[in-house]
Amino acid sequence: MKEEQVFKPEVELIEVPPAKDTHRWVAITALLLAIGVILHTISPNIGGVTPNWTIAMYSITIGLTNPSFSQSLGIGFVAGLTLVPSSKSAFPLGNIASELTGAFVAALVVKSMLKMGLANFRFRPYLTGFLATMASGSVFTFILKLILSLPMHVYIYAMLPVVATVAVLNGFITQVLFAPAQKLFFIQGARKK
Amino acid sequence: MSNYAVEFKNFHYAYNGGELVLKDINVSVKEGSFTVLLGPSGAGKTTMCKAMAGIIPYYYGGRYAGSVEVLGEDTKGRRVSDIAMHLGLMLEDYESQLVSLTAGEEVSFSLLNHGFPPEEVEEPTKKALEDVGLPGRENYQLDELSGGQRQRLLLASVLAVHPRVLVLDEPVSAMDPEGSVSLYKLLYKIHQKYNMTVIVVEHNLDYVLPYVTDMIVLQDGGVVASGSFEEAAAAAYEDRELRRILPALWQVKLNLEKRDGIHLGMWRNTKDAIVELKEKYGRAEL
Repeated sequence: MKEEQVFKPEVELIEVPPAKDTHRWVAITALLLAIGVILHTISPNIGGVTPNWTIAMYSITIGLTNPSFSQSLGIGFVAGLTLVPSSKSAFPLGNIASELTGAFVAALVVKSMLKMGLANFRFRPYLTGFLATMASGSVFTFILKLILSLPMHVYIYAMLPVVATVAVLNGFITQVLFAPAQKLFFIQGARKK
Repeated sequence: MSNYAVEFKNFHYAYNGGELVLKDINVSVKEGSFTVLLGPSGAGKTTMCKAMAGIIPYYYGGRYAGSVEVLGEDTKGRRVSDIAMHLGLMLEDYESQLVSLTAGEEVSFSLLNHGFPPEEVEEPTKKALEDVGLPGRENYQLDELSGGQRQRLLLASVLAVHPRVLVLDEPVSAMDPEGSVSLYKLLYKIHQKYNMTVIVVEHNLDYVLPYVTDMIVLQDGGVVASGSFEEAAAAAYEDRELRRILPALWQVKLNLEKRDGIHLGMWRNTKDAIVELKEKYGRAEL
């Protein structure tokens, strides 16, 4: 006798999107900027060039959380504020303007790359860190040029090359620290069993 | 009003982009019971705990069917924080659930998070720390506490809001045997004192044997046995793989019952076994 097979009807599953992280970007920003301030305080000057840890840190934050432009400006503003007290420049408040620009550019880079389908492009963190530092550094040195009434060729041939060097260094730091930060903030709590 | 603390009805769940990890779960946990959730690794025990707290599927996302009810109310449409007022969840990685600097702040943080006004947290904080055997440790830094004490502290944070159901995922996995016995003793005391339903995932049933009333056995994402501990253990004994995860004492008991066609009582420890074996066989050696 042929055994009768009982087929259970297939269950229709309801798809639920994961809950939105509404405040994670704030927590990540606070943590990374705090680390940035510590590193900024202790990192030595090598051949006149010091990496700007703060820019690297908010580039990582923006790359990880893709905040809105207004949120990115908020991140830039806070980042600028953290740099003002320890700044040795002729115009410490210039940091606020420069970091606002840097964070905006970082957000622009991240959003553009996501729109172009380059979310998994390996060197996305490098590009973000590099361009954010270029933008921030250019604004900061331009403000200095104006305040100190420096000639244009000093700005172009002396200041911008230093900015570019720091930008290369910062791009590298952003690239190296991005993956560990991603692992720390996004893998935790998502373990499956 | 339902008499069940937790009830799964035709519940299925798959993580995003994954296979089903829970399949057609139809099981209930009686209010006031001390239930153990047993099963081999990867059977879906942790996922089931998270589903009770509503974080699966409503926080993690994923695909599901069926429902989970906590104290008669569907978790669907309820905020995880609202469910947490009635069902406290302690995950295996307890260190990641600690967020404050001192023991007092840790418990207070939990209360404030649940909407308690700041002026009303001091007393329950003190009480919760006393309940878990950490009286007067409010000002202790977390690093001044041992691993076992930190685990008790987390338990205090969960207990401070007086949930009616307490779910613990492998609470003693990182503890030594002495600490494990002590934690289960404490849990039982709390279970008795507040008539709290306790649901615990535990691999080593020897620890829970003195206290357990019910058991749910999971295998490959499905429930293979549930009910009173005796019934579920007897059902699990029929499966070769599951038989090995039953307490050694119960493997002996169930083997004797099968071999001699007798019925033995609820052996909670070796002493119970010796007394009954002497009574039935006239000796305790087999």
